[in-house]
Amino acid sequence: MANTERRVLLSSSPHFSSPETAKRLMANVLIALAPAAAYGIALFGLPALLTIAVSVAAALASDAAFRLAIGQKPRVADLSAALTGVLLALVLPPSTPLWMTALGAVFAVVVAKEFFGGLGANVFNPALIGRAFLIMSFPAAITTWHKTVGFAGALTDATTTATPLNIIKLGGTMGDVAASVGSSDYASTLWTLFTGNRAGCIGESSILLILAGGAFLLIPRTIDWRAPLAMIATTFLASWGFGMDPVFGILSGGVVFGAVFMATDYVSAPVTPTGKLLFGAGAGLVTALIRKWGGYPEGVTYGILMMNAIAPFLNRIVQKKYGWLAPKKEAAK
Amino acid sequence: MKKIEVRAQSNNTDGICVIIETDPAAAEDSSSDAFMQPLDGFSCTKDEALARIREAGIVGMGGAGFPAHVKLAPPPNKPIDLVIANGAECEPYLTIDEATLDEEGPTVVEGLAIVMRIVGVKKGVIAIEENKKGAVAGLNAAIASSGRGYDITVQLLKTKYPQGGEKMLITAITGKEVPSGGLPMDAGCVVQNVGTLKAIAEAFSEGKPLIERGLTVTGGACKTPKNILAPIGTVIGDLPAEVLDLDRDTLRKIVFGGPMMGVAVPHLNIPVQKNTSGVTFMTAAETVAKEEGPCIRCARCLRGCSCRLSPVLMNNALESGDLERAADIGLLDCIECGGCSYICPSNIQLVQRFRVGKQLLRAKRAAAQPKPAAPAKAQA
Repeated sequence: MANTERRVLLSSSPHFSSPETAKRLMANVLIALAPAAAYGIALFGLPALLTIAVSVAAALASDAAFRLAIGQKPRVADLSAALTGVLLALVLPPSTPLWMTALGAVFAVVVAKEFFGGLGANVFNPALIGRAFLIMSFPAAITTWHKTVGFAGALTDATTTATPLNIIKLGGTMGDVAASVGSSDYASTLWTLFTGNRAGCIGESSILLILAGGAFLLIPRTIDWRAPLAMIATTFLASWGFGMDPVFGILSGGVVFGAVFMATDYVSAPVTPTGKLLFGAGAGLVTALIRKWGGYPEGVTYGILMMNAIAPFLNRIVQKKYGWLAPKKEAAK
Repeated sequence: MKKIEVRAQSNNTDGICVIIETDPAAAEDSSSDAFMQPLDGFSCTKDEALARIREAGIVGMGGAGFPAHVKLAPPPNKPIDLVIANGAECEPYLTIDEATLDEEGPTVVEGLAIVMRIVGVKKGVIAIEENKKGAVAGLNAAIASSGRGYDITVQLLKTKYPQGGEKMLITAITGKEVPSGGLPMDAGCVVQNVGTLKAIAEAFSEGKPLIERGLTVTGGACKTPKNILAPIGTVIGDLPAEVLDLDRDTLRKIVFGGPMMGVAVPHLNIPVQKNTSGVTFMTAAETVAKEEGPCIRCARCLRGCSCRLSPVLMNNALESGDLERAADIGLLDCIECGGCSYICPSNIQLVQRFRVGKQLLRAKRAAAQPKPAAPAKAQA
């Protein structure tokens, strides 16, 4: 044809798309994690900073190395491996030996993610698999906790302590918890737990900063509210039902961190709205069950990982589509 | 008439086209027999009215191109209680519905009244989006002066895509949903584009067949974005520069229709058709061809779906070859609005896959149809 346009593109509609990219979504989650991470570094000093740095470096390096080894283009730039590295570091104790941290990150990225087919194909949350792997392999190191020593302080044998959940698990009282965080009464203990100056994983302690990060993600709907809300609410109700202090239950361990940053992991959580609600509720219930009757003081990791396993089934509960009709009875037949 | 030849059409297929020479003199000549005799749409019989619409060759001008007279003759077991004039602009970029209402408000109202009489309905709604509030006063005046005695109101709807989609429009106005697999008449509605109503009114008052239509020419590579009235069959490339001037350096995509559902065509040698509501000339910046990334299962496509489907799960089912599972989730209910592809942060071409999936599913079901008892026998 005379006026054929040589440079025009042909493709199926739609012909334009939103500027949102997967990379930007990951970057937003990293930004949301920054306050909690910075606070963890302020509480525990250089070891916390190094844990995060080593975890991220190991995650990025193993991601690139594995993909090169199998003849694929590395996807370091999409930030998903970096995010896995940060998430893993934030759920580890600050005194974790760096080689263990690196091993956990490699396991998370290579075994939990790339073995399943890489970004988007993993069944389980990679960071939590990394943590679970380390707990099982090095139970002593991953359950050694330190008092908050400040950025300039050093984590030594003299600074080891128990986390609030540990104290309760070992039969302690709220009075013992209050003593461990240096407060006098119940209300101020809860306030200290809320703001986060306590022993624990690097990023899990400050509920305030985690919720701030969560709000940053929820408002532009980068994450969905259903799974985190269901998880926190169910942990609260189940703890209460099992005769534990529900407010303490929410404020003390990793429930809020897990709900906001782990249960909202796109890949390993269900995609349907009802699925997300049940996913969060199930994770909260398992968390409370483990805390009450399990061998571990904390159950968030396994709560979420167990629900990851049934996410494909939860995805079968789809929304009622537009114009949905109740299935006709088999009367005609 | 000059010749008959096979030419490219706006849906990227070739079709037989008749090349005619225009006769400007005849257009000015009121004694010409080019038009039919005027017909009073309110005193003729309903069959006469439907025959007139059919003879005038009127089809849905919003984009689907469905013959209007068929839509207006629903079977007796489908009672209709509402006629909706669709002025809700089904695509971003396109403004032809708004222009039609602005300039031809009374004609549209007249066409709506004729349609309401044919269908036997007392209630009609002219639906427009909130960002076109300006048209309301003019339309209300046109309704007040029409004097046909029908209950016609103007309804403002939230501005959102795809508000102009037939199903979305019906739900926005009536609260009812068109049942899965059904048509608007299953929700008691007849929906006609405002351009179609204008054409219907003219077919009666002037005896004018559907020989011209309004359309939007727009897009970043169009230096003269505007609404034009063009004879059906006008080849886009033949439009003079004062009507359509393109920036050839930046033009990267020619889309018949709007950017969400339109069809990209390879060149300008394609005619305006009855269902061409606009032509969008897009620049590289507007229509970046991005590489598909892996699905991160962010579930944004569920939010982007106007029909509450689960695009990601439908896509998973199609990838694993499970057509029936995809159909369970709602493959055939997809209206191909493009919301999921638009919102996808990994640029996955979901709608394109659903189009292919629908064809595969229909082919599979058609293949299974002729011998329903055969598999059972084979088993025995």
